[in-house]
Amino acid sequence: MVDDSGFEAMVAAHHGEIYRYLVRATRRPSDADDLSQETFLRAYRAHRTLPKEANTRAWLFAIATNLFRNHLRGQRRRRTAYTAVEDMLTETDRMGPEGVALGREVGTQIERAVELLPAKQRLAFLMRKIHGLDYGAIGQSLECSTESARAHVFQALRKIRRALDGHPDEKE
Amino acid sequence: MTSRPSVCVAIEPDLIAAATGEAESGAARRVETHIGRCGPCRRDFERYQTIDGEVAALRSHLVATPHVALARERLETRLADLRTRLVAYRVFPSPFGQILIARSEQGVVLVEYLGRSQGLRSSRLGDLPGLEAVEDGEDVEGLYRELRDYLQGRRTRLDWPLDLRLARGDFHRRVLEATAGIPYGSVVSYAGLAREVGRPEAVRAAAQALRWNPLPIVIPCHRVIGSSGALTGYAGGTTERKQKLLAIEGIPTVRAGHDFRIRPEAMYVLAPGDTAYCLPTCPSIDPTGSPRYATRHFPLGGRLFASRERAEVIGLAPCTTCRPDLHPLSR
Repeated sequence: MVDDSGFEAMVAAHHGEIYRYLVRATRRPSDADDLSQETFLRAYRAHRTLPKEANTRAWLFAIATNLFRNHLRGQRRRRTAYTAVEDMLTETDRMGPEGVALGREVGTQIERAVELLPAKQRLAFLMRKIHGLDYGAIGQSLECSTESARAHVFQALRKIRRALDGHPDEKE
Repeated sequence: MTSRPSVCVAIEPDLIAAATGEAESGAARRVETHIGRCGPCRRDFERYQTIDGEVAALRSHLVATPHVALARERLETRLADLRTRLVAYRVFPSPFGQILIARSEQGVVLVEYLGRSQGLRSSRLGDLPGLEAVEDGEDVEGLYRELRDYLQGRRTRLDWPLDLRLARGDFHRRVLEATAGIPYGSVVSYAGLAREVGRPEAVRAAAQALRWNPLPIVIPCHRVIGSSGALTGYAGGTTERKQKLLAIEGIPTVRAGHDFRIRPEAMYVLAPGDTAYCLPTCPSIDPTGSPRYATRHFPLGGRLFASRERAEVIGLAPCTTCRPDLHPLSR
């Protein structure tokens, strides 16, 4: 009765990258698992009303980003920032095979630098530099203008560069 | 801390953009000119180029595939669960006020008269345990168009896949399934319907099942009437809708007090078990010996047809005793 073939194609095409985006955003595979499931369950509830010409990939990134930011707000409410960072670093360290992929191979330093970015800059950076989304889509995901999205990515690059060069706290 | 020349500070965003392949041609030229004569900025430029290269390498260092596959598996399990619970609905205008159509993965699950209200709040859908309602898209409009054509008399069937999960128990389901088989342009009695589902004593229970019909119009409970010919109840407590739905099918009714009734004497008759349709005065359908029996009574387990065409379209032949083909009823 309900034709879901379009949705199934959407899952097949984008589940992998949405999961990977969320692994990098949350730094916890278990959270990425939950949030990527929630992203697609929401998408399933809403995809029928999505305009035919809509960019489904950008739409899925926007849902994932929104869920992650809500998750972050909830996390902040529940814990102090200090223990949250402690927890995250601890989990990254004992993540096993995935931790290896994320933290100990090529790019270790950059990965660390990205992890320390403020959320909006980190998300903008990931969407642009890892997943290649355009700034308009990033702006929609982060509920900001295209120009702000661009500025977040450039700020992220500046901070990464400073972190890599050993001046993370240099005054801007 | 040394402060940088303002020109270097101002060009930094363009410099980062140019080094990471994102600058427009004008900005890229400005940066090129600037780094041609500014050593620190050239080093910055080269550093950003290196970082951009390392970031590009990150793209190929992705999460191990088994983790993605496991996450996908868990997603599919949850999606399968959601699919069984989800119903997609939309509300459309109709001559009977707003009508909600909701469908599940299996079929149409609810058709509901909402009167003037448009929203889910006034629908049963919001209160049904185990179901999750979401707004449907354009796909359901195909159903609506068919329904609209039906209500305008341009279509006689709604061959929709049905999902009877809202039926209240097995008996109600059987009554609804039997009702779904009542042909267009004909009526049966509640008593006849109860007989058809094998519970001739359960006339009231059969009426109750139709009272809770989750799919009015599609499951034509309006084609079930009292043995006296009175329309009796319908959704919302008014038989006016029932009368209008019957009128669409060409079934005439007359007003009887606050109610409407059909006139059995103006209908062709199909006696139970018969394959030929008769005039209401046919001696072959008279179990009492009274020649006017069918003009006052609904033959138990029988059907009444508004026209010969409606009887013949489902494969019934004219009775060879009363010959309705030679002596059609006059209206």
